[in-house]
Amino acid sequence: MNEDAERQRIAALPFDKALAEFKQVVEKLEAGNLPLEESIALFEQGVLLQRRCERMLSEAELRFQRLVESAGGKVRALDLSLGEAEEPG
Amino acid sequence: MLSDVSDRIVQPEPQQAQAERAARLPILSVGELTGLIKNTLRSAPRLREVWVEGEVGQVSISAAGHCYFTLKDERAQLKCVIFRDERLMMPFEARTGLRLIAQGSIDVFEPQGAYQLYVKSIQPSGFGDLALQFEALKAKLAAEGLFEQARKRPLPVMPQNIGVVTSLSGAVLHDIRRVLARRWPMARVVVSACQVQGQGAAATIVAALRRVARWIDDESGRATDVVILARGGGSLEDLWPFNDESVVRAVAAHPCPIVVGVGHETDVTLAEFAADVRAATPSVAAELIVPSRTDELARVGQVGQRLNAALARSLGERRQQLNTETRALEARHPQAQITADRERVGVLLDRAARVLARRLEIERTTLARAADDLPALAAGAIGVARAEFARSSAALSALSPFATLERGYSIVRGADGAVLRDAGKVRKGDPVSVRLQRGELGARVETVRDSTP
Repeated sequence: MNEDAERQRIAALPFDKALAEFKQVVEKLEAGNLPLEESIALFEQGVLLQRRCERMLSEAELRFQRLVESAGGKVRALDLSLGEAEEPG
Repeated sequence: MLSDVSDRIVQPEPQQAQAERAARLPILSVGELTGLIKNTLRSAPRLREVWVEGEVGQVSISAAGHCYFTLKDERAQLKCVIFRDERLMMPFEARTGLRLIAQGSIDVFEPQGAYQLYVKSIQPSGFGDLALQFEALKAKLAAEGLFEQARKRPLPVMPQNIGVVTSLSGAVLHDIRRVLARRWPMARVVVSACQVQGQGAAATIVAALRRVARWIDDESGRATDVVILARGGGSLEDLWPFNDESVVRAVAAHPCPIVVGVGHETDVTLAEFAADVRAATPSVAAELIVPSRTDELARVGQVGQRLNAALARSLGERRQQLNTETRALEARHPQAQITADRERVGVLLDRAARVLARRLEIERTTLARAADDLPALAAGAIGVARAEFARSSAALSALSPFATLERGYSIVRGADGAVLRDAGKVRKGDPVSVRLQRGELGARVETVRDSTP
């Protein structure tokens, strides 16, 4: 696979998918019996996946939104600042 | 019998008649009569356990801690006693003017010649109706199977979209937000606002649950993975919307798993019975639905260690294999073939060494960032990562001899792009490509010398 395309694909993975793929890669590599070149390609993929997981874990910020219904009945999520919710009284 | 006795007092009889009468009906002492009344009342099954509703009149607490009060309505008054031990166990005190329902038994206090209600429990008036409604609805919904364990769905392990149904005012939303931001900031939280108490609250809760169910994340095309329905603590009346039939049914019928967290200790609402998971408070509900990011970071690190170990092992095996093959080949085969094999493996191992070096660089920066940005991370977790880093560095040094094989080696691929390992796999005239350290050559096979021993 094209290396850049793979890099971009991994950089867009949600956490659960990235982690699942990371584990699969490691299990495949642990099982052994792979040509050396394939082992290294897997390893490189694993490194990207681990990095993706660690980045999300340490850098993600919670998205906190409020659901509103438009006239047509469609439900949309709008950003909710804490100020919008009243302080506890 | 009583009238006979009073007759005797009011109208003295002639002595003879009196004696006759006494033989027929013995004269009772006050104590005897009171005892008789006491026994009569105590043996009446209807009076052994009574529930009586009325307004509290005069209240006095004795030095011993017993509470004496009257319960009254338009027609009558009833003396009541709550003994100290029972009184201390009760959720509230009898106060003048309060309407309440008292439960206990009727007995006579002989020294005062008074019958009294010996109270075992009291409830605010009006509660009785609610309690009856609650039990009736609970029985009905249980019979329909709404509360059955088998209906309960497991919570997702790592929810991406989380719905929260609660009031926008009050501490609950802040608490939930704080917990989720700390533990699982990868999530997207959508709040569906409702009233959690008062007239009409039940209808807004049902509407808010439906709103969440209708929302789809435009980016991922996914609905919510889990929903929290929460409110803070309150009186039984405050919590009542959570016992509303429409709310209970909406919880049971919701398309994704629901955790109900109500901040109270004793009374469990029917919505909680119908929930997939019941949490003690709104914050606990938030804790329950997401993993902890520090735990996950440690787990990702562990998988990373396995990745390093697996590559190191595979490289180690390959090196050993190469040494063995080289010795075997040297004994029997032309030098060219040996060189080709060594070159091929050498280039790959060198690439591995470069990959490892790059990875170590990444880890070095990741560690630096972790130390800067995540002071909250347990020092232990960073220690583990540092140890892993040291091990990886050692693995790299072990591999480094291959880095020196770089100059002059090349990789030969067949027409299908696969690396050639066996001269037997190509024929004279087949196209091959030769990858050099810089650039690539297109070539054709001139001769094939099969090297199979």
